[in-house]
Amino acid sequence: MRDAFGKFEANGIKLYALSYDDQETLKEFGRHHQIPYTLLSDIDSAVIKQFGLLNTEVSKSDAFLYGIPFPGVYICDENGIVVSKFFHDSYKKRESPEALIDAALGSIVIDESAPTRSVHKDEIAITASVRGGSGSLRQGIIRQLIVRFALPEGLHIYGDPVPEGLTATAISVTGPEGLQVMPAKYPPSSPLRLESLGVELQVWSGQVDIVIPIYATGELASECRPLDAPSTSLSIDIHYQACNDTTCLLPIQQQLSLELPLDVIEVPNLPMHTGHGQREGGYDSVPALRRLLWRKIRHNPFRLIQFILKNRRLERAARRRQRDT
Amino acid sequence: MVVERDSLGFDAPAPVGHPARASMPSGTATGPEVGSKLPDFQLPTSSGQRIDFHEDRGSAKAALVFYRSAVW
Repeated sequence: MRDAFGKFEANGIKLYALSYDDQETLKEFGRHHQIPYTLLSDIDSAVIKQFGLLNTEVSKSDAFLYGIPFPGVYICDENGIVVSKFFHDSYKKRESPEALIDAALGSIVIDESAPTRSVHKDEIAITASVRGGSGSLRQGIIRQLIVRFALPEGLHIYGDPVPEGLTATAISVTGPEGLQVMPAKYPPSSPLRLESLGVELQVWSGQVDIVIPIYATGELASECRPLDAPSTSLSIDIHYQACNDTTCLLPIQQQLSLELPLDVIEVPNLPMHTGHGQREGGYDSVPALRRLLWRKIRHNPFRLIQFILKNRRLERAARRRQRDT
Repeated sequence: MVVERDSLGFDAPAPVGHPARASMPSGTATGPEVGSKLPDFQLPTSSGQRIDFHEDRGSAKAALVFYRSAVW
């Protein structure tokens, strides 16, 4: 996030990051990572609750964990009105900073510094590129695969459904085990009435951007073991047919492939995170964890004992599962 | 330390079912909806200065990130 901060600022977007951590922790964290955006300290989770985001799957007996939110992001316009928000079914899934900027600006950007492939046929240019993190894949971080058609004046391509004999635009992405491909997002289409067939079709013309969010899971890029390979390739199958108002070109099947770098995450210097072959940044959060524990359990130390016992029970169950498989 | 993969394929250094891995159940409301104004609030920043969100934002677009912790 911090690497992309310059892009937030350059685009006039203010970035705020809110957590239940104390000011001292955020100050140390900000200094260590040279974070230039605003870190907000919501120590009693009052604003997290105000927004209705308190993680209700965590109970007060979960000691220092109580008070965290379901993580997510709101993008607001100049008037403070929410224009996009991003929440997921796993805390591991997160948008790339570039996706937040694009959402704020309402733009779709081909990043020339990221893996990109283009092909030209019948004056139609098709470009496939990955937006976010220069196209690298890390566990859970969502990148946007963009397939851009640049159609010359007069030609259009079709959305689904189409009558027999025409080919609708379709894109399928295949990659290694652990590559997750989310449903494609298509731009708004325009209606085109074909009087001869008595049907109304949905078409795109000009620049057509189809966005397919992708991310890696543990099979491909784990945060608990070193990477198996420095990069991975994905294959993009593109089907389309271009027509003008009177005639159609032949349906086309085009394949493009992209080689994407794999990446590890940067972990804080806590025993649970270190030694897994990830990037150990040396940020020592042990003092911050001690403060957090003290703040959360000093009025009820019994909660820490409950938490430790629960932790042991869960670890025993996990070991049993691992023995059984 | 137990490392376990969850049903979505994510690895973490904690057992599946551990509260540190608690994710949002489907159907959970996620606060202010698209089209509504973000609620105003006041909070201290890392430098100790207390800010009013909308006042500090002024007339700029903003991204407001809720994350779990900078500690763990």
